[in-house]
Amino acid sequence: MTDGVGVELENLWIRFGEFVAVRDASVNINGGDFFSFLGPSGCGKTTILRAVSGFLQPSEGRVLIGGRDMAGIGPNKRPTALIFQNLALFPLMKVWENITFSMEVRGASASERRRRADELLEMIALEGQGNKLPGELSGGQKQRVAIARALCAEPDVLLLDEPLSALDLKLRQHMRTELRAIQQRVGITFIYITHDQGEALTMSDNVAVMRAGVIEQIGTGHAIYDLPATPFVASFVGENNVFRGKVLEVKGDEALIRTNRSGDLLAQITPAARGVLKVGDDAMMFVRPEAFSLVDDAGAHAGKSLTARVVNEEFEGNSYSVFLESEGGKRIKMSLPNVGQERVVSTGDDLILKYELRNAVAMPAGELASE
Amino acid sequence: MRHNVLVSRLALGLYLVIFFGYLLGPLVIMSMTAFNSNPFPTISPWDCFSFEWFQVLADDERILRSIRNSVVIGLGTVVLSVAMGLAAALLLTQIWPRWRATYYTIIIAPILIPGVVLGISTVVFWDRMSRFLGPATSDLFHNGIFLTVLGQSTFIASYTMLVFVARLQRYDPGLTEAALDLGATHVQAFRKILLPFMRPAIASAAVLAFLASFENYNTTTFTFGRYPTLTIELAQKVRYGINPSISALAFIIVMLTVFFALSAEAWRRGRMKMAGQAGGDPVPQRAGILPAFLRGNWAAVVLVLFSFVAITLFWTARSYSPEQCKAEVRAAKQAEAAKRREELLRRREEMRRQQQMKGPDIFAPSGRPAAPGASGRPDTDRAPFGGVFDPGNLEGQSGTGNAPRDGSPPQGGTEPQTGAGTGAENGEEPGNGGNRTTPFGSVFDPGNLSGTAGN
Amino acid sequence: MARPRLFAEYFRTNGRFLGITMMLLVGFWIIVLILLPQLSMLDFSFRYNLPPAEQGGPKDVYTLDNYRHLIYGAGGGEGSYNTVDLMVFGRTILAAMAVTVADLILCYPLAYYLGQSRGSGFVRLLVVLLIIPYWINEILRAFAFRIIFADGGIINAAMMGLGLIDQPIDFIRADIALYTGLGYAYILLMLFPMYNAIESLDRNQIEAARDMGASWVHIHRRIVIPHAKPGISSGMTMVFMLSAGALAAPQILGGPSSLWFTQLVYQWFNNSLNWQQGSAYAIVLLMASIAIVLTFMKIFRVNMGDIGK
Repeated sequence: MTDGVGVELENLWIRFGEFVAVRDASVNINGGDFFSFLGPSGCGKTTILRAVSGFLQPSEGRVLIGGRDMAGIGPNKRPTALIFQNLALFPLMKVWENITFSMEVRGASASERRRRADELLEMIALEGQGNKLPGELSGGQKQRVAIARALCAEPDVLLLDEPLSALDLKLRQHMRTELRAIQQRVGITFIYITHDQGEALTMSDNVAVMRAGVIEQIGTGHAIYDLPATPFVASFVGENNVFRGKVLEVKGDEALIRTNRSGDLLAQITPAARGVLKVGDDAMMFVRPEAFSLVDDAGAHAGKSLTARVVNEEFEGNSYSVFLESEGGKRIKMSLPNVGQERVVSTGDDLILKYELRNAVAMPAGELASE
Repeated sequence: MRHNVLVSRLALGLYLVIFFGYLLGPLVIMSMTAFNSNPFPTISPWDCFSFEWFQVLADDERILRSIRNSVVIGLGTVVLSVAMGLAAALLLTQIWPRWRATYYTIIIAPILIPGVVLGISTVVFWDRMSRFLGPATSDLFHNGIFLTVLGQSTFIASYTMLVFVARLQRYDPGLTEAALDLGATHVQAFRKILLPFMRPAIASAAVLAFLASFENYNTTTFTFGRYPTLTIELAQKVRYGINPSISALAFIIVMLTVFFALSAEAWRRGRMKMAGQAGGDPVPQRAGILPAFLRGNWAAVVLVLFSFVAITLFWTARSYSPEQCKAEVRAAKQAEAAKRREELLRRREEMRRQQQMKGPDIFAPSGRPAAPGASGRPDTDRAPFGGVFDPGNLEGQSGTGNAPRDGSPPQGGTEPQTGAGTGAENGEEPGNGGNRTTPFGSVFDPGNLSGTAGN
Repeated sequence: MARPRLFAEYFRTNGRFLGITMMLLVGFWIIVLILLPQLSMLDFSFRYNLPPAEQGGPKDVYTLDNYRHLIYGAGGGEGSYNTVDLMVFGRTILAAMAVTVADLILCYPLAYYLGQSRGSGFVRLLVVLLIIPYWINEILRAFAFRIIFADGGIINAAMMGLGLIDQPIDFIRADIALYTGLGYAYILLMLFPMYNAIESLDRNQIEAARDMGASWVHIHRRIVIPHAKPGISSGMTMVFMLSAGALAAPQILGGPSSLWFTQLVYQWFNNSLNWQQGSAYAIVLLMASIAIVLTFMKIFRVNMGDIGK
C-alpha cells in the first residue's frame, strides 16, 4: 500500500484578508492512505482540500504531491480529482458523458469514452444507466457517478469534500463501506473531509483533527479515540466525561488529579503532554462513558472510582445511557451494554463507578468542542 | 355578500376590458386600416376591402433597404451586446463586494440614460476620436452602421446583462471547478459547462437585443447617417404624410409578434407538460379529437388556428380583387362630388351675382374663424400634419401656404378621384368651409378641384 | 498587497484568455461606450460652435454660453428669460411625472390581479396579450394613436355618430393624443416589475391580515405596497426616465404648438447643426432626470439595486 503517491503539506498558511483559515499546517500523507481531515464546520479543512486541489494558492508554505511542489500549477494540471460536497455533476450531460468528461477534454474518441464509461458503470453497479441525465438518478446513484467521474480521470490522489453529507443515514453507512472498498481496490491516496467522526474513524488509515485552522492531532483512529492529544480532540471525537482539576502528583506517565467535584482521580498522561504536565497545573481528565463499570466496593479501586447517584436512564437499543450526579454535583454519563437484562439501575440509586487506568487520559486544560 | 362579490367581479371585468382595450385596441384598429382602400389610414369611412397597400409596401424600395439596414445593425448589436452583457454579468459575480454596488450602478445606468443622450454622446465622441486619430479613421467613425451598433449596444448590453445575471444566480460555480479539476482548460470549462448552461439565456438575450435594436428610435435617429433603419424610415413616413402602407407593415409586424408569442407559449406549455410526465406526474389523458401535442395546450390550439387564418388570408389576397367594389365606391363618390360641384358652382354663381351688386374681393376669407397657428410656426418637424388639418386650407387654395414642406405630395393628390370621393362623404355640410370636418384637411376637399379649376 | 492578489485570484478562477477577454469586453463597454462619450459630450457642451477651421484654435475656449442660452435666450443678456425653452423643459418634466403616476394607477390593479392569481390559463393568456404590444415598434404604436385620434378617426367618428359632439375634436392640438400615447408607450415597463414583485408575495400574508380584520385598503397600504415597493419604484423610474426622454411620441403625436424637450435637443442637433448647444441641452435633460429619480429614491428609501429587477 505504499506505492501510491503521497501528499505533503509543509507549514501551510492560508489567509483571507485578516482572517487566518489555516495556520501552520504540516501533514505527511502516505501514498495509498485513506486520510481524513475531521473537524467542525469552519475549521479550515475544506480550505486545505482546495489548496491541495489547486483552487487556492497558499499564503505561505508548500503543497507537495508525489514530492513535487505544486506552486503555480492549476487544478487542471494536478494529479488530483475532487468530489464536491454537492457532487457538481454536470446537469446537461448524460451520465456516461459526465463520467468520461476528463477524457473528452483530452480529446478521446466517443467510442473509447463509451467503453471506459461502461467499465466504470459496471464498477459502480449502474450498468445500462449511462444514457440517463443526472437529474433522473437517486442520491446514492449520483454519489457513485461522481466517484466514477473522478476515478475516470485516473488521479493519483482523490479528494472528497464531505461527499456523503447529503445522503440519509442508511445510505451513508452503506456508502462508507463502499468507499473504503473502492479505495482498497484502486489503491490510490484518498483525502477525505468530514465533520462526522464516525465516517472518519470507520474509513481512515489516519485522521487529522482540526480546530480553527489548526491541526490538533494526527493519528490512527484508535490513537485519536483512545489517546486524544488535546481537550478539543477528546471532546469532539466521540463522547467523553470531562473532569477539571489540578495536578496533585505526577508519577512517570501517570498523574493524580484533584478534580473540582469528584475527588482525587488517577489518569495516564496523554503522550503529547508527557513531560509538559507539571504538579499544580490546571488539568483536564477524560473518561469515556463506556469505560465505566459498576463495582460494589470502592476500596479496591482507590483513585480509579467515584460514587454518584442515578438521575436518569435512557434505553438506546444496543446500550443503556445512564446519567448520574456525583456528590459534588458533577454530571457523569456512563453507558452499559444491553445484553438482554431487563433493567440495570433505577433512578435514585447510589452507584460506585470504576475505570481502568488506560481508559483515563489527562492533559493540560484547554478549550473543549462546543456542543 | 354575494351581491358584493358580483359587483367586484363586474368591476374587475370592466377594468380588464378597459385596460386591454387601451393596450390592444389601437393595434387592432391600425391593422384594420391596412385593408381599407381609403388612402388615409382610417376605418370610419370604410370604402373597400383591399390588399393594395401590401402591394404598395412591397414596392417601396426605401422600406426594403431600411429593413436590410435594420437586420445588419440588429445582428451587430446582438453580437456585441450579448458578449458584453455576458462578460459584465460574470464579472458581477466575481467582483469584490466593496466595488459591487458602484459597478452595478455603472452598468445599469445606460437603461436610465435617455436614448437621445446616448445617441448624441456616441456621435460626438466618435467624431472627436476621428479628429484625434486622423482622417484614416474618419470613414469608419462616421459610418452610420458602426455608430448605431455602438450607440444601441451601450444600453442593450444592460438588458442582456440583466438576463444573464438572473440565469447565473442558479449556476453552481462548483461545476466549472469540477471541470477544471477533471483536467479541462478554462476555455474548455467555459465552452462545455458554462455556455451550455447559459444557452437559454443567451437565446433570450439575443432575441431581446435584436428586437430592442430593431425598434430603437431615440438613439438611432442621431447615429444612422446614411443607413436609416426601418424604424427611422417609418418615423419619416409617419411624420411627413401617412398612408395605409404603414398600416400594412404594422399588420405584418403585429401578426409576426402574435405568431412568435403564441409559439413561445405553446413551446413553454409543451415543455411543462413533458416535465410533468417525466416527473411521474401523470397528465390526465383525455381522449379527444385533438392530437397529443395540442391537448391541454391552448396556446398551441390558437397557434394552429392562427396559422390557418393567416394562410387563408394570404391565399385570398392572391385571388381577391376589389376592383368592382372600388369602381362602385368611386362612382358613388363621383356622383356625390358632382353634386357638390354643382352646388358649389351654383353658390359661386350666386356670390358673383351678389358681388356684382356689392363690390370686389370674392376670395377674401370672410365669415370664417381665423386660422390659429397657420403661419409662422417655428418647427418644421410636424408642420405637415397640422398644416394639412389647418382650416386655413379649406378653400380652393391648396398648395399655397401650408403644404408639407418636405415636398412630398399629400396622398390625396396622387389619387384625385378617391380623394374627391372621400371628401365628398365628409362634405355633408357643403359650403361650411370653416368647419374642419374632413379628416385629411383641404387637400381632399372637392373645393380644391373646383377651386383650381375655377382659378 | 491586496490588489495584486485579487487579480491573481481573478486569473486563477477564469484563466488568462477568458479573464483578459472578459476584462476587455467590460472595459470597452464601460469606458469606451459609457464613460468617455458622456464625458466628451459634457466637454462639448462647454464649447463654442465654431467652424472646423477654428476648432482647437485660440477661439476654442470653454464657455457657459450654451447653458446660459437655455435660461436667458439668444441675447444671453440680463432680465429677459428664455421663456419658450424653459416652459418646454418644465412641461416635459411635469408631464412625464403625470404620465408616470397615471401609469402607476392604471397598472396597479392589474399587477395585483395577475400577481396573486397564479397559474391559471386565463392569466397566462393575459400575459401573452400584454407581451404583444410590448414588441410592437414605438413608432407604430404612436402611429396607431394618430389614426384613432385623427379628425376622422374612430374616436371622433364614434362620438359624432353617438351625437355627443357635432364637430371633431382636435386631440392632437389639445395634446390628448400625446399624453395617451406616452402613457401607452411605456405602460408595460410599469406593469412587469410590479407584477414580479407582487407575485413573490406570500398569499398567506394577505389571508392572515384579512383574518385579523384588516380592510382592503389597509391590506394594500401595509402589506402589498411595502412588499412591492422595489417593483413599483423600478417601474416608476423607468417610465419617468423614458417618458422624459421620449422622442418618437412627441414628434408624431405632439400638437403644433407644444414641444417636448427632446425635440429641442433634436432640433439643435439635426436642424441647426449646433452640436455644442444640443449637448448642453442633453446634459440638462440627463442631469435633471437623474436628480429627480435620485430625489424620489431617497424619499421612498429605494436602492439602486432594485432597478432592473
